[in-house]
Amino acid sequence: MDQKKTKILVVEDEEILLTALTEELKQEGFEVAGAKDGVEGVEKSISEHPDLILLDLVMPRLDGIGALKQMKDNPQTKEIPVVILTNLSDYDKVSDALSLGAMDYLVKANYRLEELVTKIKTVLERRQSGMPTLNVIPPTNG
Amino acid sequence: MFEQQSIQILSTLAIYSVIVFIFIWIENRRMRNNLISKEHEMQRRMYEVSILKELGDRIGYSLNVQKIVDVITGSLRKLLDYSTVSYLLIGDEGRIIFHCVLEESVSRQFIEDVKTRMITGLSILSSREIKQNELDESISGTITDESNKASPKSFFNIPVVINDMPVGLLNVSSTKDGLYKEEEMSILYTIMNQASTAVSKLENILNQEKGKLNSMVESMADGVFMVDTRNRLLVINPAAKTMLGITKTQPTIFDVLDQLSSKMDLRTKIEESIKQDKLIVEEQLQLSNTVLRVLISQVKDVENEPLGAVILFHDITKEKAVEKMRDDFTSMMVHELRSPLTGIRSIANLLKEEKIKNEQKKYQEFIDLIVSNSGSMLDLVNDLLDVAKLEAGKFQLMRRPTNIADLVKMRVQSFESLAADNHLTLESKVADQIPMVQIDDNKIGQVLNNFLSNAIKFTQKGKIIISAFVMKPHESLIAKVSSLGMMWPGIKDLTFNSDQLVLAVIDSGIGIPEQEISKLFNKFTQLEQSAASEKKGTGLGLVITKGIVDAHGGKVGVFSEAGKGSTFYCTLPVII
Repeated sequence: MDQKKTKILVVEDEEILLTALTEELKQEGFEVAGAKDGVEGVEKSISEHPDLILLDLVMPRLDGIGALKQMKDNPQTKEIPVVILTNLSDYDKVSDALSLGAMDYLVKANYRLEELVTKIKTVLERRQSGMPTLNVIPPTNG
Repeated sequence: MFEQQSIQILSTLAIYSVIVFIFIWIENRRMRNNLISKEHEMQRRMYEVSILKELGDRIGYSLNVQKIVDVITGSLRKLLDYSTVSYLLIGDEGRIIFHCVLEESVSRQFIEDVKTRMITGLSILSSREIKQNELDESISGTITDESNKASPKSFFNIPVVINDMPVGLLNVSSTKDGLYKEEEMSILYTIMNQASTAVSKLENILNQEKGKLNSMVESMADGVFMVDTRNRLLVINPAAKTMLGITKTQPTIFDVLDQLSSKMDLRTKIEESIKQDKLIVEEQLQLSNTVLRVLISQVKDVENEPLGAVILFHDITKEKAVEKMRDDFTSMMVHELRSPLTGIRSIANLLKEEKIKNEQKKYQEFIDLIVSNSGSMLDLVNDLLDVAKLEAGKFQLMRRPTNIADLVKMRVQSFESLAADNHLTLESKVADQIPMVQIDDNKIGQVLNNFLSNAIKFTQKGKIIISAFVMKPHESLIAKVSSLGMMWPGIKDLTFNSDQLVLAVIDSGIGIPEQEISKLFNKFTQLEQSAASEKKGTGLGLVITKGIVDAHGGKVGVFSEAGKGSTFYCTLPVII
């Protein structure tokens, strides 16, 4: 896969995490756009034409679930795979997000960069080979 | 002459003796008759006493009128000659009970005649029309004999009255003519009357007790209702009706079951409870706005026979809400601490790499991020520790005489530049002659810092005023504020019983909706809100503020008017 052409949109309100993820993904060879809340995330999902979106759930203005709904309702963005960024305590919301069409999720605390990159690549490959969405239901007790 | 005289005397004596004899005989007879009647009277009294004793023994404290009448009719033959004794009673739920005891074999027609007379009598007595088809009929005693064509020749009715309410009739009938006189009737009347009086008294006492119980059940905050073994609703208190959203004054079990139909199978649970004689607990029943814990328990009578079940609804909405808030609080706290820490770790990892050191700008940005994020994490940890101390009651004050004007002046100096950065002006209005007050100046300074930083954070344009003054007892706050040339948005008047130092920060921001104000001082709701808000901060500042002011014996409050602004104030008792 030609990573240089792969563009990731990171939607995350925690500035330091957004910066860290952006920098890390850039170093892995991705092109990265950032958004600091749900509203900006929805706007950039249209204007930036990302190949994949990393979406936080708890955010001001518009939360991740609200943003995901808008992305999936829009024909321009509904095919873009979404990976949820979550905390261990948000499992209810994660299963909501997965049933809304998110492809996978990543627990933010203690994430490892290699794990994130593997996840991104897997989701993109699955998307390209036309495999159905993987609806992983997370365990209920974290 | 003498002889004649003697004869005269003798005959006189004889006449006298006859007279005396007659007199004695008459007197004797009279006494005998008297004795006989006394004996009759004694027998009646004995009968009365014995039947009343029997009533007492057999019925105990029964309120069952039918049982009482059964006892009376069962022992009547000791007293009277009769063919049938019958009773007609208005029973529970409006049923009419007719029972006829046959002492002699009579025809069905005889019984029908007696019954018709009694129905007519009771209809008049109770002013209600009693119909044949309403009756629960039964016959006991000897068999009927259709060849006996005799009709009731002698009969009388005695009313059964409980608490001045006619509830039935007792009838004694015979095929013989002219059998019953005043005397027999009055004995039975007396007995019936005494039994009625006893029952009436008992019923009154019971009603009083029931009244106490009822008012207790009625005033209970928990919802309570009881069903009998046939699943009929016997009693339901207002709380239960409110919880179930039932508005009918006399609901049935179906109204109750309907309200719960999709939530729980109450009927099966009640049956289970009665059959297995056990307490059934449904830990959580979610109705529209409330969460209930449901307890179903069998009810037994004194003989251990099941009477039905009592169902108790305990509202646990608040407990559940607190539980949820606590969970939310924990997860928010975890989020607030973990997210920046994860970021700090990632950024620090990036800083380890050689090539980033060549990008001066990025390098500096990363260092700044670590500094500011670790700083805000430290703030949160400090706030959480303060709150924990407040809650544990380990919050210590270091009171010392404080010059309030200086305290305010220091705040203005330290916040002036922040206000200017946000295009706001910061003014102070401090009344003259505020005495030196004993307060913990550091902690009260923290309160003012909190008021000021909030005001600056939530005000887009205009000015912020910090004010301090002392209120005398019974002085009006509104008057005092306007005498100092201020307007507080949304101000309500307050007066105090003792001297109070008032410290306030007035902003020209957007204002706070009424329903949000109470949430400001709650640690659970605050942290939750702060996470979903763009404004940085732990949101615990006001919780800590309230703790500090409470520790000083003061009060903290907010006035607000939409679009005009808010006033955060505290009042501290003046201790010199």
